[in-house]
Amino acid sequence: MSTRSDDTRSDDTRARDTRSHDTRSHDLDALYPFLAPADQVPDDGGPADQVPDDEGPADEALLEQVRRSTAEKAREIVALREQLAGDLAGELAACAEAMASRFAAGGRLYCFGNGGSSTDAQAVATLFCSPGAGGRPLPAIALPNDVAVMTALANDVSFEVVFARQLAAFARPADMAFGLSTSGGSANVLRAFAEARGRGLLTVGLAGYDGGKMRDAGLDHLFVVPSPSVHRIQEAQTTVYDVLWELVQVALAG
Amino acid sequence: MPDLLPAVAEAFARRREPGLALVEDAADVARACRGMADRFASGGTLLAFGSGGPAADAAHVAVEFLHPVIVGKRALPALSLSADPVGLSGTASAADPADAFADSVRLFGRRGDIALGITDDPGSAAIRRAFAAAKELGLLTVALSAGDGGALRADGTIDHLLTTRSTDPQVVKEVHVTTYHVLWELVHVFLEQQEHAA
Repeated sequence: MSTRSDDTRSDDTRARDTRSHDTRSHDLDALYPFLAPADQVPDDGGPADQVPDDEGPADEALLEQVRRSTAEKAREIVALREQLAGDLAGELAACAEAMASRFAAGGRLYCFGNGGSSTDAQAVATLFCSPGAGGRPLPAIALPNDVAVMTALANDVSFEVVFARQLAAFARPADMAFGLSTSGGSANVLRAFAEARGRGLLTVGLAGYDGGKMRDAGLDHLFVVPSPSVHRIQEAQTTVYDVLWELVQVALAG
Repeated sequence: MPDLLPAVAEAFARRREPGLALVEDAADVARACRGMADRFASGGTLLAFGSGGPAADAAHVAVEFLHPVIVGKRALPALSLSADPVGLSGTASAADPADAFADSVRLFGRRGDIALGITDDPGSAAIRRAFAAAKELGLLTVALSAGDGGALRADGTIDHLLTTRSTDPQVVKEVHVTTYHVLWELVHVFLEQQEHAA
């Protein structure tokens, strides 16, 4: 089974778009069968009571297979976190100190990413802004939140410029750029980092696999999660940014 | 500045037990996958919701199902009820903001759909009301929550209640991310078997 990250899917889409319209429609039908006028869509919307809870021995065997698979994935992420606790400790501490200094100097944090990683950017921003009881609120903004700006730039220029243009408009030298990409290769994330570097921002990147192009992006701090699974990468990246936030709080309190 | 290295070690250590607890809960996760697959197979749509940080998770769940990360997996209909800032800010200034998701569930939910609510606070009024509305409409209800499930469990509105054993909202979130990744991936095991058998 081949995997693709949240941010390398555009390559696949481009490949599909070079084919004939008919082929494309066929592919879309296969990918999005629910878009077709399917006969299986219930007009009374009432399949619930027709499905027995227990469908016999075959069903139980499948359930057991899925239980094992779930347990295996849960153990995988626990092991991955333990590995990262050692591998990333020094860099996490150094990055948190640098971020704390920027916040203390009035800096803001700009967060960005695509797909699932855009929701991570949102999670980071809300964590810093609204840390809950006892936490110190710190200014952070998720750049993908602004649908008007996203669609205007994507429609009029290209999707590659979305985050870079926002940084060009808002960023000041004391600020920070925080970008997430499981592949490390998202063009708009790399372009935003180039813009941020040119403006003197502190640059922090989260990537997966071998770090991809983010390795050569000249970032101040780069956290690479070395896993073959895009899902385990995202889960570990969540821990990385949660721990970074916690350390920034500790650093500012100390 | 203080030496941060001990804080790094402590933060990672705090994640170990709640992470391993998901291994123990694997049978519950598997049953939730089966229930969700049955609904998808019958044409159901997933409605995801959460407040604050979990709003980002609701959006993540929706894109996970709608635009699969693994090539060849079929896309499934999923909608985040937390993704509309204009609508939600309108609700926030309405008579009772805690009705936000319940109102959306009543507008968009159809019998046969799936309601997936995410919260580190099982006492959240907005989440409890949304599940009550979903149950009443005949949706399958799946909750990702924390602790012992608290009020959500007591309400009796949840078909599949998956809880993370931690009081740290960030640790809860991280285990939830693994949980919904697994729900997405393994729903397909049941769907593929049904397609194969059909």
